[in-house]
Amino acid sequence: MRIEGEHVFSGSREDVWAMVRDPEVLAKLLPGTTKLNQLSESEYEGEINLRIGPILGSFSGRIFVEDEVPPESCTLKAEGEGRAGFFKGSGTVHLTEQDDGTLMVYEGDIQIGGKLASIGQRLIDMTSKTMIRQGMKGLDAALEERKAEAAD
Amino acid sequence: MMAKLIGKRITRNEDPRLLTGQALFVDDVELPGMLHAAFLRSEYAHARLKGIDLSAALERPGVVAAFTAEDMGDDWSPGPPLVIPPPTIEDVEFYTRTQVPLVKDKVRHAGEPLAIVIAESRYIAEDALDDIVVDLEPLDVVTNIERALDPDSPLVHDDLESNIAAHLVQEKGDYAAIREGADKVIKRRIVIERGAAGAMENRGIVASWDIKQQQLTVWDTTQSPIPIRNGLASMFGLSEYQVRVIAPFVGGAFGPKIMMFYPEEVLLTWSTLKMGSPIKWIEDRRENFYATTQERGQVHEVELALTSDGRILGLRDDFLHDTGAYDPYGLTIPLNTQCHVLGPYEIPNFSSDLKVVFTNKTLTTPVRGAGRPQGVYVIERMLDIAARELGIDRVEIRKRNYLPNDVFPYDNVIIDQAFESFIIDSGDYLPAMEKALEMISYEKFTQEEQPKLREEGRRVGIGVVSFIETTGVGPYEGARVTIESSGKISVATGVGTQGQGHFTSFAQIVAERLGVDVRDVHLVTGDTAQFHWGTGTFASRGAVVAANAVNAAALIVRGKVLELASEALETPEEELEIEDGVVRVAKIPTRYISLGDLAQRSNPLRGAVEPGTEPGLEGTAYFGPKYGATAFGTHAMIVEVDPETMIVEIKRYIIVEDCGTILNPLIVEGQLHGGVALGIGNSFYEKLVFDDNGQLLNASFADYLIPTAAEIPTIEIAHQVTPSPLNPLGSKGVGEAGAIPVPALFAQAVENALDVEGLEILESPLSPQRLFELFHGEEKDA
Repeated sequence: MRIEGEHVFSGSREDVWAMVRDPEVLAKLLPGTTKLNQLSESEYEGEINLRIGPILGSFSGRIFVEDEVPPESCTLKAEGEGRAGFFKGSGTVHLTEQDDGTLMVYEGDIQIGGKLASIGQRLIDMTSKTMIRQGMKGLDAALEERKAEAAD
Repeated sequence: MMAKLIGKRITRNEDPRLLTGQALFVDDVELPGMLHAAFLRSEYAHARLKGIDLSAALERPGVVAAFTAEDMGDDWSPGPPLVIPPPTIEDVEFYTRTQVPLVKDKVRHAGEPLAIVIAESRYIAEDALDDIVVDLEPLDVVTNIERALDPDSPLVHDDLESNIAAHLVQEKGDYAAIREGADKVIKRRIVIERGAAGAMENRGIVASWDIKQQQLTVWDTTQSPIPIRNGLASMFGLSEYQVRVIAPFVGGAFGPKIMMFYPEEVLLTWSTLKMGSPIKWIEDRRENFYATTQERGQVHEVELALTSDGRILGLRDDFLHDTGAYDPYGLTIPLNTQCHVLGPYEIPNFSSDLKVVFTNKTLTTPVRGAGRPQGVYVIERMLDIAARELGIDRVEIRKRNYLPNDVFPYDNVIIDQAFESFIIDSGDYLPAMEKALEMISYEKFTQEEQPKLREEGRRVGIGVVSFIETTGVGPYEGARVTIESSGKISVATGVGTQGQGHFTSFAQIVAERLGVDVRDVHLVTGDTAQFHWGTGTFASRGAVVAANAVNAAALIVRGKVLELASEALETPEEELEIEDGVVRVAKIPTRYISLGDLAQRSNPLRGAVEPGTEPGLEGTAYFGPKYGATAFGTHAMIVEVDPETMIVEIKRYIIVEDCGTILNPLIVEGQLHGGVALGIGNSFYEKLVFDDNGQLLNASFADYLIPTAAEIPTIEIAHQVTPSPLNPLGSKGVGEAGAIPVPALFAQAVENALDVEGLEILESPLSPQRLFELFHGEEKDA
């Protein structure tokens, strides 16, 4: 499955970057995340609860950050598995400064297997879009908080 | 006079039991102390197995045992090849790689079993699957049969040089030479996708080892209980008499329940022998999508060479056939395709290069039609295109190429699925076509109605296709007929029954021969304790092979009845008649003896029996045809396509069927209805969608659509009877006939309805979205 899109943040590129690289913020970014630990500078492990149509399950997995060019771009790789199947994906995130803030452009591919693929396939596209939308909303809120804290 | 019962429209003997819940299915079997099995299946389509840890599963309360391939020790071995590779053709390449009971080294398709868990309930067993820790290293996957032949493709079987499972070339005449001089050569690429059989009842097994009786009993949803019994006995070192396989009522089979030696059949048996407890496993629908075999999946490169007046000079059909991860069924399916691409037509020159290809997908074995629909699709589509390009009516081009009636038996030179010469025993094609045209008012529709409807902007189309169906292959079947002292008849035969109406059609034969009521003939099928010689129910062979064995056994008993009655009534046999359960002197109706009394006389409790006589009014007989009987027919349909949604509505559906002697028209028509329903699924709804990683994306009936009653039109049927010369009853099979021509017919009718210059349908199945693409793609180009 292909994922691509863009989002404009009302904040500086440095702030957006710092936020994306903060596990606590990342945990908020992905709805259903129950655990996210940073193992090293570029590796995280965590658990996420997903509901996709009739499939409800917990997945454990890892996220790797590669080809990091702060605060411009990085490649994200993720893989996980649970009783409802497995997923494996990789994608890139680009941040560009523009007049009204920072433009995030993201694109990537996700492979899914097991029940996720065989039963959830019809719904996963919609679910992932919803998750991304919610994630971006969460990031927007986090960014506002961060700006408010900085202003204090 | 025998009351004529063969050919009568008689309601089915088995239906009262089926309709009132008194029929035994495998899941109805409940035994004291029975445990339940669940299988851990690979989610990856291709992966190296590095290790399995069962310890957490074994600790779960209620779990009794769990096993991996390693636990099987020397009992682990790949399944037997079910159809031996062909010894008779020159230069044939064949690499036997059969399915394994549990994965030992490498997973080759998603759904392949890794471990079995046996617990007090299915719930516990399934929960315990989640406790198992598996270490699988994913490998690159190959799903596409064309890409599987790339030199750098991942290999499904590492010990082979390529993914070619078999390679075989069949030739008749000299295609290359005739092509040179042909007026017209048409070349196309045709792609046929994979579908599921989708039987209402999934597979199920109960295996039970009675240690004190040293008797293994296996209830199995198999089409072939006798080969399964023999195979299990041989695998586990038991005498065949120690193994009883029962195929009770089965809710549809359609091919995949043939003698597969599925991993589950082997594992349940192995586990019960090891543990001593009876074990049940019932497949769930999702497992069925991964673990039960599938079919179709071919890519054809075709050339048809013709004269300018539409006579076929020759045909070249080079194709790839997807066998999935293993090839236990050898060449059965693609050989059927090679034979059926020749159809009812005179094709003097033929060349066909076949490659069977391994992929990381569930294996393919015959599904109702078994390669025949693909062959029919290819030749019928090519004839449609030839007709258009040569400016000949599509009905006319078929008529010009039919084999004439004086050529039968007609030797097509190439070999068939039984590795024998492909000989068509009989045929009479033109009247079937004429009758279909008359029933659908072809002339009136194409000349008057269609032009008028088109003017109103309606996309209506008509299709007419012919087909043949090889049926009733050997080697043999048998039956035993017994008159009991009550005067009722019991019949046992080895074939299994999955809805074919054997309890009625076979009973009609016996009732006619022995002058009794059809309802007084009781049949047992599919129980090796009752009859243990035979092969099984497949290849549309029940009404040919088993029915003729039943007929022969009934005639033996009839002979015994007349002989004994002649003594009892002191009348020569020629002056006796059997009717209403008694044998009477034809001229003196008051002098008679009942069949029951005769049965008692034949099995006396006192007195001396003459040497050389056998007790009882019983006969056992076998029948094996020289080669298969070929049925045929014409199907026609009228469709309307909604130009906005591309939904196809079938307005009329006509069948003219010739399956030789009809045993029971009600059952024949039921078979045709079911077959057409499957064919409509194959044409427009049913496609298994695999992604590039070998993940099946529509493994549920929410996503994999099968037509419902709403999508199946009223089917109008006419019968034509050309008896087969190969068996005494003159019967031919009809189990697959309904399904075979439908995709070809559907494509022709829809193409005709859309009526877009240059729009050719060269694939199956279609779907509304695919039709939309074809339709609008062509419009843009124009």
